[in-house]
Amino acid sequence: MKFSKFWIPFVMLSAAGAVDGTVSNAAAADPQVDIKTSQGTIRLELYAAKAPKSVENFLQYVKEGHYNGTVFHRVIKNFMIQGGGFDKDMRQKPTRGQIKNESTNGLLNDIGTVAMARTSVRDSATSQFFINTKNNDFLNYSGETPQGHGYAVFGKVVSGMDIVMKIDGSPTGPGDVPREQVVIESISLVEGKK
Amino acid sequence: MQRALFISDLHLTGERPASNEAFFAFLEEAVPGADALYILGDLFEFWVGDDDLADPLNAIVAGFLATTAQHGTPVYVMHGNRDFLVADAFCKAAGAQLLADPTVVDLFGTRTLLMHGDTLCTDDTAYQDWRRLCRGKDWQEGFLAAPLESRRAQMLELRSRSEQDKRAKPPVIMDVNAAAVRDALHDHDCTRLIHGHTHRPGHHLVEVAARPCERWVLQDWYGRGGYLEATASGLRQVTLPAA
Repeated sequence: MKFSKFWIPFVMLSAAGAVDGTVSNAAAADPQVDIKTSQGTIRLELYAAKAPKSVENFLQYVKEGHYNGTVFHRVIKNFMIQGGGFDKDMRQKPTRGQIKNESTNGLLNDIGTVAMARTSVRDSATSQFFINTKNNDFLNYSGETPQGHGYAVFGKVVSGMDIVMKIDGSPTGPGDVPREQVVIESISLVEGKK
Repeated sequence: MQRALFISDLHLTGERPASNEAFFAFLEEAVPGADALYILGDLFEFWVGDDDLADPLNAIVAGFLATTAQHGTPVYVMHGNRDFLVADAFCKAAGAQLLADPTVVDLFGTRTLLMHGDTLCTDDTAYQDWRRLCRGKDWQEGFLAAPLESRRAQMLELRSRSEQDKRAKPPVIMDVNAAAVRDALHDHDCTRLIHGHTHRPGHHLVEVAARPCERWVLQDWYGRGGYLEATASGLRQVTLPAA
């Protein structure tokens, strides 16, 4: 605990002898969501502590039902699978405002992690996310340069990675769009984790 | 510039997303650069134990506070009458330090007493009886032994009864007792008191043993939210713009 010379706090014990904060129980696990896809269910654990803005934004879209009926529209083998922005007719769904990039949170774009997609503008993420299917070091924050801003990791796959890799390996056409559409039927909070 | 910020009574809950958004915006926009952020109680609408970090909103709040602390603004949290079970695991997740109620700080040379404010409402004897019970180790250990969902249900029931009781109580007994305020300032040798709890924001002059003292009451975040800012020039209350 550090204080500048202007702050001199004293802890004064309350006269009633009431116990303050000495009884506690263990902290619980991070929130989890299930991505129900046409290929199976992928469960994500979300790192609210390290990426609060991204998790808050993502869960808001989950609550709004935004992701229901969207697709994994961009799949590049041994790189990542990306979705949450386009519907089954490949129309972009309207989103809320852009959020700050939390790529400096120390989390790495390793295989199985989920991160916010964005344009080349640093703080341009809205609803789209991607799951890394390889350790993508070059997506990590590396410095205050246009190429170094990185992509904010906000969770990881805890089950269904086989489904992620199945999607990753599926045939794609122009624009890296899967030839057989992979639909996100719904994303919902896991019971007991809310 | 040296700057400290004081807030209280946010009562964050999934039922009021606007307040949550206002708080996150406050942390991102108003707090950076401040030397300290003091949260003087009732950050949460209720808190049933640190395993309530399982609620995504609670985890997100902890994350935002941790980011604030990481960016150089120490975060201090005090128990309120709703979130008195906030403990070590939350503080660790939030990068925050738990302050006792009351705590004395030196604000630019003025000894300042920081309290949530509920202990000053001495006319509300029913509440003071409840407080003595629920701040006791036995009660807390018994409560925390129940499963999380059961504790949440119990707390919702308590909150509902408390809201009903409040409607039956005359407003005056739910405000601070003047003698309790003077005693607190006198006992801790302070000339300034900052507290929340009563949801009656304001700045009051108080005379304690012929010494002029002042009492600042923080505003709640049911509406637009706001904070008290202390700098070398003095204190001022800032209400946040409407969303």
